[in-house]
Amino acid sequence: MTTTTHTTDDSQEQMSSRIRSFLLRQEVILLIISLLAVMFLAFGSDRFLTTDNLLNQGRLLTEIGLVALSMTFIIITGGIDLSVGSILGLCAIILGVMWDPNGAFALPLEVAVVICLLVGTLAGFVNGLIIVRLGVPPLITTLATLALYRGLAEGISQARSVRGYPEEFYVLGQGEFLGVPTQLWVLLIFCILTAVILSRTIFGRAIYAIGNNELGARFSGVPVGRYKIMIYTFSGFMAAMAAWIFVSRVSTTRSDMGSGLELDAIAAVVLGGTSIFGGSGSIIGTIIGFILIQLLKNGLALSGVTTDGTIVVIGTVLILAILINNFIQRRSGNG
Amino acid sequence: MTTAAPTLGQPTRLSRSRGLASRFLVFATSQEFVLLLVVVLLFAVVGNTNPRYLAERNVLNIFNGNAYIAVAAVGMTMVIISRNIDISVGSLIGVLGTVSGSLAINGYPIWSSWLVPILLGGVVGAVIGFMVAYLRIPSIVVTLGLLSILKGGLITVTNGAWITDMPDTYFLAQMRTPEISLLGINIPAIPSPIVIMIVLTLLAALWMRYSPTGRAIYAVGGNAEAARLSGISEKRIIMTVFIINGLCVGIAAVLWATQLSIIQSTVPAGLELQVITSAVVGGVSIMGGVGTTIGAMLAAILLSAINSALVFINVSPYWFRAVVGVLILITVLTDLLRRRRTQA
Amino acid sequence: MKAKVLALFVLCALVVMSVAFPVAAQDRWDGADDLDVNPLECPVAEGETAAEEAAAEMDMPEYDGGQPTDAPDLAGQDIVVVDVPKLVGIGYFAATTLGQQQAAEELGNVTVTTDAPTEANIDDQIAVIDNYITQGVNGILFAANDPVAIAPVLRRALEAGIHVVGYDANSEPDAREWFVNQAEFNGIAKSMIDSMVAEIGEDGSFAIVTSTFTTPNQARWIAEMQAYQEKCFPEMTWLETVEAQEDNVLSFTQATTLINKYGPDMDGIFGMTSVATPAAADAVSQAGLCAVDAVDGAASSEDDAVAVVGLATPNAMKPYVTGDFAGCVKSVVLWNPIDLGYAAVYVLRAIVDGEFGPGDTSVEAGRLGTLQVVNGSEILLGPPFVYTAENIDGFDF
Repeated sequence: MTTTTHTTDDSQEQMSSRIRSFLLRQEVILLIISLLAVMFLAFGSDRFLTTDNLLNQGRLLTEIGLVALSMTFIIITGGIDLSVGSILGLCAIILGVMWDPNGAFALPLEVAVVICLLVGTLAGFVNGLIIVRLGVPPLITTLATLALYRGLAEGISQARSVRGYPEEFYVLGQGEFLGVPTQLWVLLIFCILTAVILSRTIFGRAIYAIGNNELGARFSGVPVGRYKIMIYTFSGFMAAMAAWIFVSRVSTTRSDMGSGLELDAIAAVVLGGTSIFGGSGSIIGTIIGFILIQLLKNGLALSGVTTDGTIVVIGTVLILAILINNFIQRRSGNG
Repeated sequence: MTTAAPTLGQPTRLSRSRGLASRFLVFATSQEFVLLLVVVLLFAVVGNTNPRYLAERNVLNIFNGNAYIAVAAVGMTMVIISRNIDISVGSLIGVLGTVSGSLAINGYPIWSSWLVPILLGGVVGAVIGFMVAYLRIPSIVVTLGLLSILKGGLITVTNGAWITDMPDTYFLAQMRTPEISLLGINIPAIPSPIVIMIVLTLLAALWMRYSPTGRAIYAVGGNAEAARLSGISEKRIIMTVFIINGLCVGIAAVLWATQLSIIQSTVPAGLELQVITSAVVGGVSIMGGVGTTIGAMLAAILLSAINSALVFINVSPYWFRAVVGVLILITVLTDLLRRRRTQA
Repeated sequence: MKAKVLALFVLCALVVMSVAFPVAAQDRWDGADDLDVNPLECPVAEGETAAEEAAAEMDMPEYDGGQPTDAPDLAGQDIVVVDVPKLVGIGYFAATTLGQQQAAEELGNVTVTTDAPTEANIDDQIAVIDNYITQGVNGILFAANDPVAIAPVLRRALEAGIHVVGYDANSEPDAREWFVNQAEFNGIAKSMIDSMVAEIGEDGSFAIVTSTFTTPNQARWIAEMQAYQEKCFPEMTWLETVEAQEDNVLSFTQATTLINKYGPDMDGIFGMTSVATPAAADAVSQAGLCAVDAVDGAASSEDDAVAVVGLATPNAMKPYVTGDFAGCVKSVVLWNPIDLGYAAVYVLRAIVDGEFGPGDTSVEAGRLGTLQVVNGSEILLGPPFVYTAENIDGFDF
């Protein structure tokens, strides 16, 4: 439609179209929606927009945030990982069982944490192997390991909780560093790290290439299999990190920890503009996605909406956000 | 979900012109046959340790227990074959079951409390289908959002109050066929969910295999581009698939609601995973565009049989989920190996 | 190809691990926890109850609850209270909510709202409480999904000057001020086993349907039941415990499978939750194994019959006690959850008004009269109540 005359100032035209395309990016649209939501919620309760409250919400979103970051990579390649919640549960149990002074292992806490991270990484690696080397679709693989890992967590724990960790262990989940909850620093580091990797490295570009056209990527020399195994392994590692932080935050281990986490993480990623079909998306979008969901949960609760009402709102926002985005993208695509 | 699969359509087509022996070979290596074998094997092994496992009552209970899941899996099979997914089925079953029970205790005729949820399911399916096909929102996003809306909405409306005191004639799922004695063979009274499950599964399997629309579902799932080129309206097919899925979920909800004297008006936790697992273990979607409802039904029965067997052979219940996970992996792997062999 | 072998190897390793790992802890999976048990005295032939009273006169431990810091003095003023049960959507917590509303209405200066996750999930419950701390309520009532996991957020509430009282399921003592205990674990256990013995005799065999093995209350009751049964009725056979979540369809399936597995070798089923018990009764009546012959689902002989005893709310059990399947279930054990919620609100009001604090041995709770303090910082609602055909129709919840 924009068959305008090219005689006038060309560079100015380019500039304005660039601004327009920037404004039409999903991240920006989402950011605007978020700001509107924050303004709206701040009217609902004067306790919402306070530093204390917002920092405290940071504690609650860290686990979902970490998992959503690695999920972004996976979804960009056109895959999915449904097993993250179960990996979290398994890792939490492993951490407890390995440390438990009255148990069979009674290892030092540091060693137990390392084993916890290793088990998570291994669990993710197994996902990757099955998907890449055996060619089983990600949805089915991780559906199977969702059951398997949760089953292992239940079996290993034998329904016993491990409690009574030393005080210094709680620093990560309940402590503060420079006035900010400790785990938020961890989340921040991983946010920057993943954002840089995805947008500034060859690896990141390869991830998009795999999502856009796997066969094409392979022909142009991208080690598709190896990269895919790497991101699923990373996803397992992130779930283990989340498990460590979770155990430190709630000071106990239970085999049902993290159930349903996968859906929250996927919702955050999708809300953040990553296409479930692969090929597009960004870490910034995901970050805005999980922050928006947490703020909605918190802000609505503070305005007096009950939990079940909040769930309804979040489901609606998810569908509407994608709908609006689709609409705008199509308009601008045609225009 | 989006693994680009070069394999197309039904594998059985290869065998059409060949002899009886190779036809048998194809049948013997099909997912349905493998599942049947596993079920029989399980019955034999567990029945050997405890003959009560094979008692008529227990066998009927195993078939009956997951019948509503098998019914929902009929729709799920079509959805997954068309390269979509529906993770809101569990919530929808909860909502429609509650609707059914509410109608029954508020004096509406019994037939309406059975029929309205089914039609309502079709309407919800149409809405999902419309958003997926025409508004181009991925089905996982639509149903993820819907899952939240239905789950939260149900609690908001009912406050979690249970529904009791339904009229005696309401309990469709507790009804049984009359005992028949045919040619000296006594056919026991079959619970209605089993009858509904089998009839629905066979009808769907025949429809998908022989009707143009049914075959088009495979085409859309196998290779949407090719399907489009051959004149199939992808949008119309996806609408159809989700409407059928909604109707199936409605039937499943009625069976779910009418089997016990209490309807817990909440969303049954993890039900969607059981339905998807049944479809997947039943051989659906390994490559996209492949699978049958019969496989899904057998898988639902298998899961029910395993659950029962774990109680019978004294396996720690802590391990049930691990067993299910390993089972999914094994069926999928054997399926892959088999496919590779038949292709070679 | 090498990678394929590797992948299969890892898979096999996982499977082996899943089998080998638990051998160490496999000795029991009856659903009991491993805390100390304290079984009550066995029933005595001629209605002597002296032993029980002796047990109640144990040394009173020191108050071990926590205290809010700088709680504002709101004696006699209006207060806003939030109630966070384990989950919303089950009849039991609907009943506690009803009791709280009744108390709030009587008192006139308390506003209670109930809000909780839709699934019994520790993380969601913590988030809900957290939000209410920020919102600034005067009091929190809770029923914990996990006694330890909920503690940090409750301590934060105390630090913020909010009064915290638990009911139904406790937290760590120092994370709340008081806990309203519906009935002592060993008391429930005794009622359950005694009711079962009355139906199936001292040499009967029974199985249990529980929610999950991780649910603290259920695990505690089962442990106490085990101890009491071993002490008083050693001839009984303890078959097994199965898990059924808080899901009535699954409870029905599990109970049916137990019936099919043991056939005439099983005489009774315990339902450990308000969901499992009616589902177990349904399973028994649909299998035609009710112990009476007046109804459709009657057993063909006395030997085949399966008794159901369990924790449940009266409305859900009426069909089996006095309704269509009358006599299928003879006794249902439960405290009154309406009273439980009612008492929790009265206790909170008494704390705020400064009428009740550490060191006190009793508290006034409206229509319930005076309730006793036990175990340092717990308030005992009373002995468990056994609903039977005679009294069940008088209750509506």
